[in-house]
Amino acid sequence: MEGTLARRIRAGLPGYLLVAPAVAVTVVFFVVPMVVSGYWSLTQYNGIKPPTFVGLDNYIALLTDPRFLRIVQNTVFFVVMGMAIGPLLGLGSAVLLNESVRLRALFRTAFFLPTMVSLVAVATVWKMLYQDQGLINDLLGVFGLPGHAWLNDPTTALPAVVVTSIWQGFGFETVVFLAALQAIPRETYDAAKVDGAGAWAQFRHVTLPGLRATILFIYIIGIIGSFQAFDQIFVMTQGRPGISTRTVVYELVDEFQRLDLGSASAIAYLLLIVLAVLSFLQLRFFGERD
Amino acid sequence: MRASVPRRVGLYAVLIVAALVMIVPFYWTLSTSFKLPGDVFSGKLIPDPFTLENYQDVFRRLPFATYFLNSVIVSGSIVGLNVVFGTAAAYAFAKLRFPGRDLLFFVFLLTLMVPFQVNLIPLYRIMVELHKAIPAIGVDTYFGLIAPGAVQVFGIFLMRQFLRSIPDEILESARMDGASEWRILRSIVFPLAAPGMATLAIFTFIGAWNDFLWPLIVTNSDEMRTLPVGLALLARRNTVVWGQTMAGTVVAVAPMVVIFLVLQRRFIEGLTAGSVKGGG
Repeated sequence: MEGTLARRIRAGLPGYLLVAPAVAVTVVFFVVPMVVSGYWSLTQYNGIKPPTFVGLDNYIALLTDPRFLRIVQNTVFFVVMGMAIGPLLGLGSAVLLNESVRLRALFRTAFFLPTMVSLVAVATVWKMLYQDQGLINDLLGVFGLPGHAWLNDPTTALPAVVVTSIWQGFGFETVVFLAALQAIPRETYDAAKVDGAGAWAQFRHVTLPGLRATILFIYIIGIIGSFQAFDQIFVMTQGRPGISTRTVVYELVDEFQRLDLGSASAIAYLLLIVLAVLSFLQLRFFGERD
Repeated sequence: MRASVPRRVGLYAVLIVAALVMIVPFYWTLSTSFKLPGDVFSGKLIPDPFTLENYQDVFRRLPFATYFLNSVIVSGSIVGLNVVFGTAAAYAFAKLRFPGRDLLFFVFLLTLMVPFQVNLIPLYRIMVELHKAIPAIGVDTYFGLIAPGAVQVFGIFLMRQFLRSIPDEILESARMDGASEWRILRSIVFPLAAPGMATLAIFTFIGAWNDFLWPLIVTNSDEMRTLPVGLALLARRNTVVWGQTMAGTVVAVAPMVVIFLVLQRRFIEGLTAGSVKGGG
């Protein structure tokens, strides 16, 4: 038995050689940091003196700190507002583009273009648009509406950042939904029409079921992505005013730079746990279908 | 089925307004980049007077030429490494047999669930230590910027799906003819995998060109910064010089926009292949 295993390993040598670079990179730059991060999350550590083990203290301190809970609340707001609007816009524009529209490719390009561009660049541009004398207030003025200091008001700053993120991201959803819509066979619609289904009934009973897997895909990818929001906050608000736009990852990076490495690692692991649960749900939903 | 006239008018009205909302910020960026400082918030649609001063500032007084070069070097290297090593690993996972293969692939898949931020701090520490041992690598070097992204699991996954469609018979008959695995990889797998590799290259390029958090953390000198980092540090100042900053934005964004407009079909196909078909 051992002889055959040795032989199989020898026969598998090309395979091992081909995966070796991928394994090496993944172990050194992924697995090791991940394990170390888990250990640091259980210690008090400033990067200079050796870490001292403190058990779950960092986690308890974070989860009982009203300031951190406010940051979690901001992050959840970011995710919920983004996910309530973005995919809906994506689906809406995909449904419109799926009609026999002239210049479909042109419209699709317009919607999709921002998703190609770095979030830093998009955030930079929108920071300018949101300025007191910026384009958005100018346009409001055209309609006789008062301007607003969007990024300096704690009630509007976070929604303003979310709007920017939706603007940047929903074209991805448009393109994915459009491809999924075009994959639904025409005959299904024809059959529904024969049965006397109107436009709304067709949408409910043919389109939506046909998009089920795509909707799940969009939501899970989107939720995971928006839980990690950082770039746009860094550029547009730096978490201000107060901590009204501070997100979990922004706080993590901030603690890292303040050399509170134990607590920063605990934030990282809390994020990991939340996202792992969500990814697990994704696998479950997709697994159920296949 | 042709929709009624009012319905079509409504449809186009909505689409045109939406398209304007998407396009105007791009236009405004370009327009502002050609404006004098006093005109930035003037509301002028067309820069008047028209100036190239902002671009001169960005390239002469600010190190955007260096940022640009760094972005090209880093993204180019990451794309090359991923295409070669990602395809090689994907081929092994798709077509070769070796003990531990499925377990290893499962572990790779698990890493897809781990957000990068979990690894960030120890990864930085590894780079600090490497830099102490060998000054040419680690923090604030090309190695530090490139190495953690050199083989991305998502790419292996994408290429594995692609390579599974190559019929085993082709590979078997090459083996019968005495071809080595290396030779099969070079003369059969790579050529057949070219469309998949192009998709992988595009995806990796978008990600690497736009990547921000890691380049921000691992660099600390202007000589090593990439475009998003240089731009972000310009844009987050308390008093932003908007004309210059928009010129910097154009420099950071233009290559991506041009590549996208040229290769659009490929982008969208690659994207939807990963989501719609990949879900089934």
